[in-house]
Amino acid sequence: MTDAFQQLPEELKLATSAHVKYIQSLNTRQDEYDYWLTEHLRLNGVYWGLTALHLLGVPEGLPRSETIDFVLSCQHEDGGFGAAPSHDAHMLSTVSAVQILAMIDAFDELETRGKGKAQVGKYIANLQNRQTGTFAGDEWGEEDTRFLYGAFNALSLLGLMHLIDVDKAVDYVAACANFDGGYGVCPGAESHSGQIFTCVASLTIAKRQDLIDKGRLGKWLSERQLPNGGLNGRPEKKEDVCYSWWVLSSLEMIGKTHWIDRDKLINFILQCQDTEKGGISDRPGDMVDVWHTLFGITGLSLMGYPGLELVDEVYCLPKLTITRIFGT
Amino acid sequence: MVLKQGGSQHGIARTSRVRTEAQKQQDLERIQKYRDLESHLRKLVSASDYSCDTFDLTTKLLKLNPEYYTAWNVRRRTLISGLFSRRSDGSSCWRGCSSSSRCDTTTTCSAASLSSSLTRILPSRAYQTTGRSGTTADQDVSDAATPNDTTTPTPEDEESQKKDSEIIKSELFFTIPLLLESPKCYWIWSYRLWILGQSVLLLPVPIAKKIWQEELGLASKMLAKDCRNFHAWGYRRHVVSRLESKELGGESLVESEFAYTDRMIRGDLSNFSAWHSRSKLIPRLLNERVAGEKERKGFLDAELNQIREALNVGPEDQSLWYYHQFLIDNLVSPVGRPTIVPTLTVEERVMYLTNEITEIKDLLEDYKDVKLIYEALLEYTLGLCQLIERKPEEDERQDLISWVKKLKELDPMRMGRWIDLERDSGLTELLPGWSGQPKHY
Repeated sequence: MTDAFQQLPEELKLATSAHVKYIQSLNTRQDEYDYWLTEHLRLNGVYWGLTALHLLGVPEGLPRSETIDFVLSCQHEDGGFGAAPSHDAHMLSTVSAVQILAMIDAFDELETRGKGKAQVGKYIANLQNRQTGTFAGDEWGEEDTRFLYGAFNALSLLGLMHLIDVDKAVDYVAACANFDGGYGVCPGAESHSGQIFTCVASLTIAKRQDLIDKGRLGKWLSERQLPNGGLNGRPEKKEDVCYSWWVLSSLEMIGKTHWIDRDKLINFILQCQDTEKGGISDRPGDMVDVWHTLFGITGLSLMGYPGLELVDEVYCLPKLTITRIFGT
Repeated sequence: MVLKQGGSQHGIARTSRVRTEAQKQQDLERIQKYRDLESHLRKLVSASDYSCDTFDLTTKLLKLNPEYYTAWNVRRRTLISGLFSRRSDGSSCWRGCSSSSRCDTTTTCSAASLSSSLTRILPSRAYQTTGRSGTTADQDVSDAATPNDTTTPTPEDEESQKKDSEIIKSELFFTIPLLLESPKCYWIWSYRLWILGQSVLLLPVPIAKKIWQEELGLASKMLAKDCRNFHAWGYRRHVVSRLESKELGGESLVESEFAYTDRMIRGDLSNFSAWHSRSKLIPRLLNERVAGEKERKGFLDAELNQIREALNVGPEDQSLWYYHQFLIDNLVSPVGRPTIVPTLTVEERVMYLTNEITEIKDLLEDYKDVKLIYEALLEYTLGLCQLIERKPEEDERQDLISWVKKLKELDPMRMGRWIDLERDSGLTELLPGWSGQPKHY
């Protein structure tokens, strides 16, 4: 594989330094309107950018202490985190906060300068629907298997899974399964690669992969690959780099990554790079953003692309972080 | 890492990132305007001011940025803490609010000309019944109001219901142009559902029900614009389940929803969302029809005929094959398990399956290079063997081997899968060339 990559033309190699610069420049774009329109994703954005930098081998690419300060500045009294200071607490930003602190080994700062792990755990646990087992995103009640996965991800990193009814949540995920082997937002909803990731990863964290119809699911997931090598999210839809993560990580979790053509997918992701200014887009020639940049890189990392740190397919964090926390 | 696409770029062509001076200036002006609104809102919120001014500010901000979830939350708080009559001190602050959706709908929405059909809707105690501790807001409202009781309403009650109904209608109007602009924005959909939920809490059942019923019109409009929008499909299912709930009268909509999937499929055979929905509705549909064995068999035959006809013209379409697989699952699943026709004997199942395999083989006469046909033949033949608990016979085995070979040839991207399939189905020993090892880097 390494040989094959050395033979690639320049535009089909990973433009590592351009991507690093692109990510580092994101917070300097305050003269752009979009910077302000996307403030509701700031903490998520830090997570996306920082994870990409870690995988690119530049873990110190964002200043550690400023990162911690920013994360803690988003925390509310109830333990939850908003996307930025003055934004309401939400599961999505809370999970990003926990992931960032995990990545830079800063849970102790959460204890000393933040509201503490226990309070974060309480915030998340309170979002569980105790009747059905699923989770809401915030106090206003929207429910989605994304939030259930977020809760499992963050609480397991914090060592606080005992705060929730795991069995009930697992039953709920099982009820989201469809005849095609996939999973949706809630019971009855259509299978979608993103939701499949959240459900399969949740079952993996709960050590309940026995509930997954791996043959059927693997078939569905492998059919997401289109002739140009890219993956789509549902049948008869267009390819998009982000599914290089949602589909591939799910295949990896069920041990079927070899059911798609890795070389073709690698080529597709590399074609979506802006090799000059950095960043990765949804499809070749489109505008880049940090979200697709991360999921292009995690896809490459899962496929063992040379020079990248390994990503954990369940947590979407560097393997090194997961090993440090869980000790395996 | 959250699955969330707001703020990311989809399908926008990469252009030079260099802006002209004029563009920079224009950006700075827009930023200033946006940030002024934002900081004003923050000031009011930090002073716990949930007045009309605050409400109006959220209107302005959300039109600029419907992804600003905190602004949606502030908007909810202004409604709960004063604008909805049941919680107010009696002063009719709402009428003083300048910018509510009333103006929006007559101006912004007129172009879409949908507004007339989309007046009211509402989900009920959707969040309240979840029993979570976080829904204090809903709880407060429900404590304060008993809209569904049977006592005769006073003129004050009627007045406040009228006002609440007006707010709810207006809020529903407000989100329509935003949804048309951002049909995949989670926050708009969830706000809309929350508003619908308020209708059940605040209004008499018949009025609330009417609002919810009209919401099906919105779901249809959104699906007419994008027949695969999974937000709109999910929303539709949610609305249907609330309409079917006891609270809102509890009448089943399974027949009309099934008919809706018919229409959607007729419009586009590749609409897997509609096929999926169909697969979910069928068990209930047949139960509610109290269908006997004959009717169920007739139903299965009609479904098989329909999908086969579709496959005759579009054998490359994955959606069709997935639905076909769903029907076949009903035949190969264990006897006695609830299926389309649970009373089928093993012999009858074998007959059905054999017939399907024959029909699919016929497809090969017109389509020699469509891999999905070979895949189906393989799966169904193996399913047949499993059903009668025997190994493939020699002629079947030869077929299976030739189909795997064809799959490898037509679909080398999934070579690892075909190799696994070959190994797991015991087809490898006649093909010594394969190591059976997946390709690893």
